[in-house]
Amino acid sequence: MNLEGLPVVTKEGTRRDHDIMIFALSTCGFCKRALSFLDANGFAYRYLYVDLIPLETKNAIKQELRERFHESVAFPFAVIDNEHHLVGFIEADWKLTLGV
Amino acid sequence: MADRQKTREDTELFTRMVASKQGWVLNPDTEFYSTLVEGLMRNFNRYGYFLCPCRDTEGSREADREAICPCVWSKLDVPEYGHCYCALYFSKEFASTGKQPAAIPDRRFS
Repeated sequence: MNLEGLPVVTKEGTRRDHDIMIFALSTCGFCKRALSFLDANGFAYRYLYVDLIPLETKNAIKQELRERFHESVAFPFAVIDNEHHLVGFIEADWKLTLGV
Repeated sequence: MADRQKTREDTELFTRMVASKQGWVLNPDTEFYSTLVEGLMRNFNRYGYFLCPCRDTEGSREADREAICPCVWSKLDVPEYGHCYCALYFSKEFASTGKQPAAIPDRRFS
């Protein structure tokens, strides 16, 4: 997925054992909670607030996520190691997937 | 952009009115509630309507109509899960448990 030129934020962290990309909404409480969870557990990750980018660009990203993961796109939408995905923030699931 | 911008106070009042009309309770977690009020206010001021802060716009008021707070699915979600999709509104029963809200399925796509 080409995210070139988009406002992707890179967060440093001591844990780099997973490649973590989060698609989120800047207005969403669960998205905020998910990012706080990653910070609190020391993960390095990247995130993109899709509500802050142009509609066509966002729709193309959502279309690619739907096609790749056969899932309707809700937020937060986490892509882990370019292979797994998590939709919505349920802490137990994120702990299990990320090995916390 | 909305003709008349909403303030935080306007938006908090709106959520209190919805909660009281529906017999719901506002999310007691003040930080979470504050994030959602901020999100609702920003959505109103950029789109012109209170789009649910945890749902993305589909590009128009008509396309977003069902996701305008209180979203049409909240009448199903609150009784079933104890809170609405974005966890702004709780049922009285759920609020009394002191439990944390968790992500629930988005009926928008089911």
